[in-house]
Amino acid sequence: MGDSHLVQARHTSVSRRRFLKVAGGSVAGGSLLTMLDARQAPAQIKGTSLRILTWSHFIPAYDVWFDKWSAQWGEKNGVKVRVDHIPHLEIPARMAAEFAAGAGHDIILNNATILARLYYKSLIDMTDVYDGLGKKYGGWIPAAKSPIEVEGRIYGIPMYYILLPMLWRKDLFEANNLKAPDTWELARVAARTMKSKGNPCGIAFSHCNDANLNWRSLMFSFGATETDPSGDNPTIDSKEMRETLAFAKALFDEGMTPEVFSWDDASDNRFLASGIASWIHDAISAYRTTESTNPAVFKNTYVGMEPAGPGGKRVSVSAPIVFLAWKFSKNPQGAKDYLTALVDVDKEGMVASTGYNMPFLNDNAKKPMPVIGADPKLQVLQDFPKIVAFFGYPGPYTPQIQEVANLFVLPDIFTKVARGTSVDEALKWGTGEYRRIFAKHKRA
Amino acid sequence: MSTAVAVPRTHRQKEFRRHLLIYAGMTPFLIIAVFPVYWMLITALKQEPDLYRIDNVPFWFNLPPTLKNFETLFYQTNYGSWIVNTLTISAWVAVITLLTAVPAGYALARLRLPGAENIGIAIFMTYLVPSIILFLPLSRVVSSLGLQDSWWALVVVYPTFTIPFCTWLMMGFFKTVPMEMEEAARVDGCGQFGALVRIVLPVSLPGVLTSVIFAFTLSMQDFLYGLAFVAPGDQKPVPVGVPTELIRGDVFFWGSIMAAVLLVGLPVAILYNSFLDRFIQGITGGVGK
Amino acid sequence: MTGSSQTSGPDATSARAAAVSVGVDARSRGWLGSQTSRRLAFGYLLLAPASAYVLLLVGVPFLFSLYLAVSDANVGDPVANFVGLANFRAAWEMETFWIALRNSVTFLVVAAVFKSLLGTSLAFLLLQEFKGKKLVRALVVIPFTLPVAVSVLSWKWMYDSQFSVINWALHRVGLIGGYGSESWPIWLGQPHLALLACIGVNVWRTFPFTAIVLLAGFTSVPTEVLDAARVDGCSFFQRFRHVVTPMIFPILIIGFLFDTVFTLSDLSVVYLLTAGGPGNATQILPVLAYQIGIQAGSLGRGAAIALMLVPLLFPALLVMLRNLKRRDW
Repeated sequence: MGDSHLVQARHTSVSRRRFLKVAGGSVAGGSLLTMLDARQAPAQIKGTSLRILTWSHFIPAYDVWFDKWSAQWGEKNGVKVRVDHIPHLEIPARMAAEFAAGAGHDIILNNATILARLYYKSLIDMTDVYDGLGKKYGGWIPAAKSPIEVEGRIYGIPMYYILLPMLWRKDLFEANNLKAPDTWELARVAARTMKSKGNPCGIAFSHCNDANLNWRSLMFSFGATETDPSGDNPTIDSKEMRETLAFAKALFDEGMTPEVFSWDDASDNRFLASGIASWIHDAISAYRTTESTNPAVFKNTYVGMEPAGPGGKRVSVSAPIVFLAWKFSKNPQGAKDYLTALVDVDKEGMVASTGYNMPFLNDNAKKPMPVIGADPKLQVLQDFPKIVAFFGYPGPYTPQIQEVANLFVLPDIFTKVARGTSVDEALKWGTGEYRRIFAKHKRA
Repeated sequence: MSTAVAVPRTHRQKEFRRHLLIYAGMTPFLIIAVFPVYWMLITALKQEPDLYRIDNVPFWFNLPPTLKNFETLFYQTNYGSWIVNTLTISAWVAVITLLTAVPAGYALARLRLPGAENIGIAIFMTYLVPSIILFLPLSRVVSSLGLQDSWWALVVVYPTFTIPFCTWLMMGFFKTVPMEMEEAARVDGCGQFGALVRIVLPVSLPGVLTSVIFAFTLSMQDFLYGLAFVAPGDQKPVPVGVPTELIRGDVFFWGSIMAAVLLVGLPVAILYNSFLDRFIQGITGGVGK
Repeated sequence: MTGSSQTSGPDATSARAAAVSVGVDARSRGWLGSQTSRRLAFGYLLLAPASAYVLLLVGVPFLFSLYLAVSDANVGDPVANFVGLANFRAAWEMETFWIALRNSVTFLVVAAVFKSLLGTSLAFLLLQEFKGKKLVRALVVIPFTLPVAVSVLSWKWMYDSQFSVINWALHRVGLIGGYGSESWPIWLGQPHLALLACIGVNVWRTFPFTAIVLLAGFTSVPTEVLDAARVDGCSFFQRFRHVVTPMIFPILIIGFLFDTVFTLSDLSVVYLLTAGGPGNATQILPVLAYQIGIQAGSLGRGAAIALMLVPLLFPALLVMLRNLKRRDW
């Protein structure tokens, strides 16, 4: 709700000021560095313009900070900066239009649907910027390269990612003498116990982004994989995948209601806010919005570590946000400088997003992290950077994986199983779809 | 004497029964059409926590109503610009559509041009081109006209889907104008053009008004072109602006969304109604009865 | 309307023709030829703006989409190679494609039935004189005036699995059980129900359109004709069937045809409500084409799928046109 987020914005800026006073060092140093960089900025970008297309962040205060910071950067460097926002799911359409027109923005953000491999021939090579930033900040996390690397070169700058942790109702768990859902088995038992009391759990079995992300977290934590490390061959047909599907079926039967078939990305937020959910596995935005929609539930909702699979493995699949720059941009140097500066103020950005933007750079992931390091309920998020992965794990993020994601093939496999199709049949269908799509792209 | 008294009573009874039947008939339609709108109105005035309790009555307020959603809409988003853009774009598109479709419809309907049938079919066929493919080459056109990221791009592009339909609609209406009227006019000394303007158009006014209605409506329905061609916040029309700023990630600002929908629908509904008045008034006991 | 008194009889016709040609002679050089050429010039002039617009902005892109459908284009590649029917074959091999095709047709037919029924009944009711007519009319057209991208969102909420107003109302009236019970419909979650829910939104949005077209048609029937029919002793239904319908048939056909096209190619309702799910239960051709062509970037295959709508529309088009020709179109 706009009002509560406005309040949040005020809190954020106050806390940021306080944070700056206390922390002094890193953030202020970052800004100083920016300014120094700016003074050394090549005069050639003065008098140019830069147009940036980004999404509408679920924390409105972040967008306020982003727009303001961009304008300030522009002033410092003599660049006319304009920032536009569009819904993140529609960015691929806009990119296609700009490519067809050969004109548009200079920098475009990609969220979850990373199209670097599709457009790399028309994107600015960012390898030097990427390597430079990696050196400056202790290296990139292992998952960073996958979305933006093509044939050894880097075509975009990863900025942050949004986590989908376990969000569970501690009060309900305790009332039923249940242990915290640290493993998937515990989560299943909890859901089974509480469903009969009117508090089922929920994960979407439908055509939505959450379904793509959550089921992958489950299967990767069970040891299944999506493609081989080269990315050329789908590997979902495995013993571990069968175990995952069996588990998902059991989880659905015992712990969920059929409404999960109708869910979209926001349904699990609503489910949590209504007070019915015992736990959901969802983007952290659900946690934050419950604060305004149902404060009583918010108080009792806790953020949990990604549950471990039977082998003890934990993998959290998340939505990466990267920035790409068009080759047809009239200001390639300005784009590079802007993105470098943006990464330099990464910590500020993390604060502006009230702790939800997770860093791709190791230094920024060091504890204590801004905002979440201080909040006792959110501290567990600091352990996620070690276990985060993206679509296609352990292989790279290729156009064929992109198509698989766009057509919701993986959620469909799980949906079939939940609806009663045998695991073998559903997996056979899914493998067939993967192979067909992969073959399509090989031809192309 | 007794008959003189009985007649008005029976007539009144008849009228009463007729009204009852009509109201009974209209009720389902009213419910279907209006209940979602009523619900949207209530939701627009509700506080957010009010929406998220299963036991709450959706049709009335459980927490006190609030104007906060409207405030958010006007002060924290560019809604004001979006409404102005939407209405302006639709008006321009309606004008362009009328100027092109009315003459074209007349030419195809009345002037016995060779190949008229084929041209008409070709114009219809353009609807078979899916807009999800169309928007790519149109993107190139828009940017070469220098209109990228301005709402004028939409004024140029929207007629591509309003003109074909309105041309055919006008064709249909012109066909129902009896030939004799036109010929009589021409005998009286009007030229072709005069006949069109002075005789045919006034009679086809319902058709013209219908075309305006549809041009307006079709312009307001588009999402894809608006998204592809207009990115700056203050240039967007409502259908693009609302999902951009009131749906952030997976967070929906429901109250403001409802407010946004209603406020843009109202002026248009009033416009339509005045048009419908115009041409329904034309019936003096005509078809019904 | 001086000529109207001489509307019947062969004498009147030839008299009129004579009068016309006299008038013509008086103005032109008396040649049928130059009258014709002036008519043609006038005609093509009137036709020019619309044709130019449509040809340039739609015709050319149409050829482009044909080109895409037979090439291996994807969004990021400036150069594409000719691949013949490979894209179409790829589409036919997809199980999802056939599901989408079936759903598209089902959607169209079911929606059309409901829209005609509701639209026609509404048009009739609106023709009647009754108190409060203006208010009713204003209210009933509102669904049509709300931008689709946002009104569909409202329906999303109305169909919500927990908070659905519809379910709440039905539950209060006692027709279904409460939340969590077997009879609580999950509108967007149960396969057949989901498709019906999408159809419902389409019908809700466009039945006022049907009613308006019909109304406009009714009102263009000249009252003298109707009066004459009434004087001749026709009942209401006879009048409707034999007098009104033939006269407004062109308008009806056009309305129907265009509504068909709009419904078949409509992306927004399904995309916003279910994105084709759950498990492809509501997948339709435009949504599939968008997901493959634009979001996944395979333009060639997306174009091929989108163009598969054309064979669906062709039969409808031919039937309509033949019908129109028969009625002296």
